[in-house]
Amino acid sequence: MPLSAFLRPGLPLLLFLAFAAGVVRANEAAVLVVSSERSPAYLEAAEAVASELGRLTTETRRQVLQLTAADLPAYRGAAPRLYVALGAEACSLLGRTPAPAPVLCALLPRASFERVLRESGRRAGASLSALYLNQPLGRQLDLMRMALPQARRVGVLWGADAQASEAMLEAAAQARGLKVVGVPVKPDEPVFNGLKKILDESDLLLALADPQIYNSSSIQNILLASFRAQVPMLAFSPAYVRAGALMAVYSTPAQIGQQAGLIARGVLQGQPLGVPQYPLQFEVSVNEHVARSLGLKLDAGNLAERLRRQERGP
Amino acid sequence: MTRIYKFIWLAVLFGLAGTAVAQPSPAVSEKDYLDEVPVVLSVSRLPQRLDETPGAVTIIDRQMIRMSGARDAADLLRLVPGFRVSNSFEANTPQGSYHTSQNDYSNHMQILVDGRSVYSVYLRGGTGPGLQAVALEDIERIEVHRGSNSAAYGARAFLGTINIVTRDPVDTMGTHAQAALGDNGIQDTLVRLGWGDDQARFRLSADGRADDGLRGDSGGARVQRVNLRADLRTSDQDMVELRTGQSVIEAGVGFAGQDGNAPRSRQLDTAFIQLDWKRSLGVDQDLALQVSHTAESIRDRFPYAPAPALTIDFGGRATNENISLQHTLRATPTLRLVWGGELRRETIVSRPLYDTDSAFVTDFTRLFSNAEWRLHPDLLLNAGALYERSSIGGEHTSPRVMLNWQVTDGHTLRYGLTQAFRPPSTFEKFANVRYYLGGTLADSTDVARGNVSSEKVQTRELGYLAELPGKVASLDVRVFEERITDFVKRPSYSLPGSGNNNEAFDYVNGEDFDIHGYEYQLKWKPWQDGQLIYGQAWVDSTQSVGTGRVGLYGSQSFMFMQHLPQGFDFSLMYYQADASHFPGADEAAPAFSRTDVRLARAMRLGGRRAELSLVVQNLGTSYQDFMPSFRFHQQAYVMLRLEN
Repeated sequence: MPLSAFLRPGLPLLLFLAFAAGVVRANEAAVLVVSSERSPAYLEAAEAVASELGRLTTETRRQVLQLTAADLPAYRGAAPRLYVALGAEACSLLGRTPAPAPVLCALLPRASFERVLRESGRRAGASLSALYLNQPLGRQLDLMRMALPQARRVGVLWGADAQASEAMLEAAAQARGLKVVGVPVKPDEPVFNGLKKILDESDLLLALADPQIYNSSSIQNILLASFRAQVPMLAFSPAYVRAGALMAVYSTPAQIGQQAGLIARGVLQGQPLGVPQYPLQFEVSVNEHVARSLGLKLDAGNLAERLRRQERGP
Repeated sequence: MTRIYKFIWLAVLFGLAGTAVAQPSPAVSEKDYLDEVPVVLSVSRLPQRLDETPGAVTIIDRQMIRMSGARDAADLLRLVPGFRVSNSFEANTPQGSYHTSQNDYSNHMQILVDGRSVYSVYLRGGTGPGLQAVALEDIERIEVHRGSNSAAYGARAFLGTINIVTRDPVDTMGTHAQAALGDNGIQDTLVRLGWGDDQARFRLSADGRADDGLRGDSGGARVQRVNLRADLRTSDQDMVELRTGQSVIEAGVGFAGQDGNAPRSRQLDTAFIQLDWKRSLGVDQDLALQVSHTAESIRDRFPYAPAPALTIDFGGRATNENISLQHTLRATPTLRLVWGGELRRETIVSRPLYDTDSAFVTDFTRLFSNAEWRLHPDLLLNAGALYERSSIGGEHTSPRVMLNWQVTDGHTLRYGLTQAFRPPSTFEKFANVRYYLGGTLADSTDVARGNVSSEKVQTRELGYLAELPGKVASLDVRVFEERITDFVKRPSYSLPGSGNNNEAFDYVNGEDFDIHGYEYQLKWKPWQDGQLIYGQAWVDSTQSVGTGRVGLYGSQSFMFMQHLPQGFDFSLMYYQADASHFPGADEAAPAFSRTDVRLARAMRLGGRRAELSLVVQNLGTSYQDFMPSFRFHQQAYVMLRLEN
């Protein structure tokens, strides 16, 4: 199947050019970016990978080829020097068996990557590593301390397989003088009961992505209950902030793509793939209306800047 | 009663059937971080902060409700500065009135339960039955807007609004049962079930409140209620809420030796159904549609002792239908708008009160718009108006402007002007109470001649709100001047041929007077787990009573709450009011004070959360409540509450 099959109308011109370059020089692809699907977030990340690599030489930019996971089996070109898998599905596809080249999984949460490792029986290392999409817990707690200096008790609803995160959060909280109020939520159990305890005993609800707990139908009740209890939510995506969470710290697909591009550059320059990483660049988003209602004055840009400065160190 | 119960059980079964759908649980992926989710805290769901509201607002929250030991919502109004409360069921049901002192029906306030107007159409707009509409345990909070609020809620909000918000079904999942037993025949019970999932949630509450009434009145009072609420999420943007319920209030009223008002049991039966549809149109706007129907039925009859063949009857029926649509819009980051319309129809049928079997129908059309405009980061203007046309009171526009100036962080000054109208009630306009003996007219009491129009109030007020950081303390002050014109009076006039003394009572716009004064409320958390609430009001009214004036009187309320170690809670309430008058009844209301205490302990009983509490109401001597012969004596009760 020819690669031109990917060329569907409606793609941005820039991508069209990128794909066209791939078609022409398929045999020379140095980096193969495989997206779980073709939607704006993946395209944005893929584009950022390409432009970061383009800073190496203009040639390398042309050696970046973008595919979707569904189209990968039909790929007939030569093996690249690095695969960048964007999303859990692409990572699972490329990570299942050792690929002809190292695989960097990006734009996926840590839990998804660890699931791939578990299912494939492989270990993270030079042939398979990751750049997570989720934020380090310490960063989220630091944001909480900056935005709500009075808050001491962090409420968390724990999903079915959160044991690892529990220990990490406990440690991160302890280091910052905070207390974790954790409530486990069993599969198929409504979150109401656990949520009640958290809202009674916490100053802030730290939402950690888990579709069993936070999804588009449950979010209504959770956000309304947290607002009623005046226990604001620190969420994991800007969409939740629009929905009514007080704030979120998150990395955009472009930021992930850029950092993945940077790692890819290292690989092309002969460095081995390192250990999995958390994103270095991030944004902070604040729902000003919710903040106002809660009597808080928060500035997203200022919070992000202070957080970055703190991470850079003195 | 049977019909509505049947409906409720159908709804319950429907609800149970609807919850048995299992959901697959997918693994976490980047989609959780990247995908959109529906807007939840949309513009209409974010309430105005207290320093942004166009007026003074007192909020009675769940903790206060629970720790007050109050047995109904009327009792709680004592905590609102400027209120005077009666626990008597004599005129209708326990009620609170603001500034106008008390008349038989306290009909100068609007009362809402979850946005539905619940004043009694039959009882001339009285708020009493509405305060009994839901179980206290189902109430999330009561917001009392002190001061005319007609620009937002129409005629009944003449001097303010009492807005009862019930708990979200999410917060009342599981089973809950409680029972109280005490002096004076106190016997209160509640059973509540909450169930459902993210898409559909339900609550069914059935409760009763019973006691032997006030010492000196004609017997006990019993309130029985059942309420069902179903919240259904029909799509990411749409929410449908169904509420239905019934309350039956039975109380012993009347006086031995008064043939025309003999001791008897009176029953007020109110049933309703309410449907709300809320549609989110994004972060910045949403629509709310509400349709409701309420039916009141009053049974109040007794034989006339001098002529037992004659039955005196005050009973009848009333209904109201409402439909309203409201659009809330954040037009720009500094301008929020609410506008909409409402159609309402009130119908009353009562041969005893109107001497006809025909229905009296009153139609209301209301259009309203309110803007919240931030002129400057520290300056907020609330400007709005409500246009109301009623078939009984003509056309009126009630405007309001209120400017809130945040002087510095935590300190806000408020100044505003409002004007509002209250059209006469059906009774004030059309009353025709006649007593026949063997077909001939024996007596007439209220025979209205229809020459009555709307009362008007113009208010000027200055407010100050201070909020210390960390919610440690807040102070809310309101200085007001309420000028009431065309106040409705009930003079007697000569009506030859009306039987007995050939006199009857009419309703006319008979008086203009001023109410001015100030009131404030302080909330303070002096230490860990302790809270203190103090309110005081000084009201001076030129309203006439008998041959004099109401004059200056004060009232104050105090509440202290403390969580103690080992699950103990302690609270103390104190209320005091100076002598004044009940103008509606031209009765002297003597000075009185009342102290209540509550001690409770949370525990576990058979794996369930439980709480045992002891409440003593009115420590000390008894006080007069409403009628000179009615006294509220010290009474104590014990309550056990179980939930899982």
